Amino acid sequence: MAHDEGTSRRKFLTAAGTAAATASIAGCTGGEGGQDTTTETDTATEETTETTEDGGDQSGDFSVTITQGQMPTTLDPQNHRSTPTDNVVLHAYEGLLSRTRKGKVQAQLATEWNRQEPGVVRFQIREGVTFHSGNELTPEDVAFSINRIVKKDVGIASPQSDQLAGVTGAKVVDGERAVDVMSDGLNPIVFSLFATYGDVMEKAWVQDREKSQIAKQMNGTGPFELDTYEENVKVEFSRNDDYWQDPAAVTSLTFRAAKESSTRVNQLLSGETDIIVNVPPQAISRVKGANDARVAAVPSTRVIYNAMRYDVEPFSSPKFRQAMNYAVNLEGIIENVLQTFGDATGQPTLEGFFGYNPDVGPYAYNKQKAETLVEESGHAGAEITLHTPVGRYLKDLEIAQAVANQINQLSNVSCSVKQRDFGTLAGELTDGNLETSPKFYLIGWGNATFDASQTIIPLLTSDGALTSYSNDELDNLIEQAQSESNQDERKQLLQEANKLIHDQAPWIFLNRQYSVYGATNDVKWQARRDERIDAYAMEPQQ
Amino acid sequence: MSMGRFLIKRGLQGVFVIWGVVTVVFGLRYVTPGNPITFVAPLDASQELRQQIAAELGLNRPFYVQYFDYLLSLLQGDMGYSYISGTEASSLIFSRLPATLELAVAASIVAVVISIPLGVVSATRRHEPADYAATSFSLVGISTPNFWLGIMLVLVLSVQFGLFPTSRRGIGLYPALTMLVTQFQVSGLVTWISHITLPAVTLGTYFTALITRLTRSGMLDELGKPYVRASRAKGLPETLVRYKHALRNTLIPVVTVLGLQLGTLIGGAVITEAVFAWPGLGTLVINAINARDWPLIQGSLIVIGTGFVLINLLVDTLYAYINPQVVH
Repeated sequence: MAHDEGTSRRKFLTAAGTAAATASIAGCTGGEGGQDTTTETDTATEETTETTEDGGDQSGDFSVTITQGQMPTTLDPQNHRSTPTDNVVLHAYEGLLSRTRKGKVQAQLATEWNRQEPGVVRFQIREGVTFHSGNELTPEDVAFSINRIVKKDVGIASPQSDQLAGVTGAKVVDGERAVDVMSDGLNPIVFSLFATYGDVMEKAWVQDREKSQIAKQMNGTGPFELDTYEENVKVEFSRNDDYWQDPAAVTSLTFRAAKESSTRVNQLLSGETDIIVNVPPQAISRVKGANDARVAAVPSTRVIYNAMRYDVEPFSSPKFRQAMNYAVNLEGIIENVLQTFGDATGQPTLEGFFGYNPDVGPYAYNKQKAETLVEESGHAGAEITLHTPVGRYLKDLEIAQAVANQINQLSNVSCSVKQRDFGTLAGELTDGNLETSPKFYLIGWGNATFDASQTIIPLLTSDGALTSYSNDELDNLIEQAQSESNQDERKQLLQEANKLIHDQAPWIFLNRQYSVYGATNDVKWQARRDERIDAYAMEPQQ
Repeated sequence: MSMGRFLIKRGLQGVFVIWGVVTVVFGLRYVTPGNPITFVAPLDASQELRQQIAAELGLNRPFYVQYFDYLLSLLQGDMGYSYISGTEASSLIFSRLPATLELAVAASIVAVVISIPLGVVSATRRHEPADYAATSFSLVGISTPNFWLGIMLVLVLSVQFGLFPTSRRGIGLYPALTMLVTQFQVSGLVTWISHITLPAVTLGTYFTALITRLTRSGMLDELGKPYVRASRAKGLPETLVRYKHALRNTLIPVVTVLGLQLGTLIGGAVITEAVFAWPGLGTLVINAINARDWPLIQGSLIVIGTGFVLINLLVDTLYAYINPQVVH
């Protein structure tokens, strides 16, 4: 990998391996004693190496501005499903567990977490934590927050209820500073879910306010307190000096947005902002060439793929689907279209995730084999159309055009690209009816739980919300995995599922997306794989 | 018809136009592809969750019920709540309106200040170097795409020379003026000017070129008319002939175009707003359309439509003032 900032595959694999191992231990078997059970090994190497030329601000004031592509849609941490919103609200709100930059599950508002019985887990709630309102965090607040997400009769129909998949409710444990969380089955990934989702709010504060007020005000336990919010313009935070951990080094934090990537890059280069998201490949050399800015890139948790509907010709033939994979020169696309900011995939689960099968590699480009497989499938002369959103994922249209062009190079298949509005395309995929989906489409899927099931279940099982595939053997494997309490067994089942999916090729397996940031050298900061931008981890360069 | 009756008639017509806008915009949501639930609910949401969210947003009620409810709410000044953020659509729209108005007015001022003198000079010095320079400027101005000009101005004047901020609004005009009046501080106004200059020039360039051409051709037209020859024959000074009589008549179509363009600028400054991360109504509407946030789309379009109606009313009034014959 040719990145200055050290996103090499070897480094990433080392880090991701550690993350997966620790996440699976702490996240799936439960931590008998919280932090003590989640010891982080030191084998992981940092993905980005910071260098500096400028000194930090010596006055004690350390202001940071972060510019995203979009502003938060709301400040209600439980009433949205957008990453830019998460990036903002998670500076004020916290969950029971969290993840380190490397993906390891760690204690946050819970000090211990363990399984009581199948379907019931218990969290011990940290003492001495106060909300920004000054009130102390109680187990009632935690139980209320979880119920607000998963129960429609507690305030809102939260779009996050599916993020806490299987969780049915929470209640305070009598006589203890603990909360029991109930699930409708074993829920093997429940701790992984709570490490990523489930922000805690103050019960009385929420109940005293209208929904529209909760969307504009904040009262969490996090390291930053809301100062001003101009909807769709800016969010300003100041440091919470009463934070239960050490106060942040950042004294004031501002979030802004600029939709145009060139505008963000200009802001960075003129020193108007400190961190920008999604530096486009064509602007990377500009940022790298600047004296006081750098590029920080990191593999994300998002996989890009071309789904092929298994129920329609010619995609009903596994041979035809495999042929499409052999027809695509994936390394060429990563090299030329993504300028190396991507990794080739050969299965739906990304490297470093629980259930990833290390023995399954990407399909190798082989045009002749692709043509032969097309002939054998009986679909020679097929004309196919690839539907793609534009601007939703890094270089989505360009990737789709490259894929279609390469399929077109086959002597016996022709392929064209159809640009689609993302909302319309997504509506067709999520209406619960496979027949309304395009036969062949490009889409991306982010999975911040680092568990294979959260990609395979929605996208590839027969009942998945966005499925393009149905296979009894795969359904059985996943069903077994979801009721398996032994983690080694579960891992093996998920790896088998990944091998099966690779061989059956319901997708053209494309790339793992990278998050590419621009940052000034004044700020010491390292990018995260889960797309979070955590100002609490920032320090001034000395 | 008296001036008062003329304005009342125009005002009533405007009310009907606004009602038409409301109805058409409301109807559009039923013929436009894409469901707002897709954006509010996550991609992997269950059907049950989708139905819950639809019920919460009131989208499961019949069309006519939603329409009459909306009309009733609108009469009470309530534009509903944004599907995505859950906050009042009206507060979002009216918080963006000043930024857009400032930009539109600033771009118009840039255009008027440059274009009318340029057009007059061009017409009065026909086939002279000044005329060629002005017509070349017009051609370049009309042919240059907004986004390219904006990016170039930023690259050269902001990034390279650091003369202006690259983007954002900095401070609103009202707070800047308040600072000036109450605290005698000009820093607010300086910040406002530094932030608005590049977007106003970018947005105003096409407009400037257009008005220059319009003024030039109008002026040439007027200068060739018999009343000008008669005025000159009577011995009126040339400046009086040009600037009191000919220019006044030239400005009638110019005022009309100015008014219509101002309306267009309010609704259509999207590209400039995107390039300069300007927090205006244009980007709000585009984001709302992308997210199928119908209360916000409807509210914004109604405000823009109302703006058009008011500007037209103003133009009609001005038109009537400049040329009282139109009243009759």
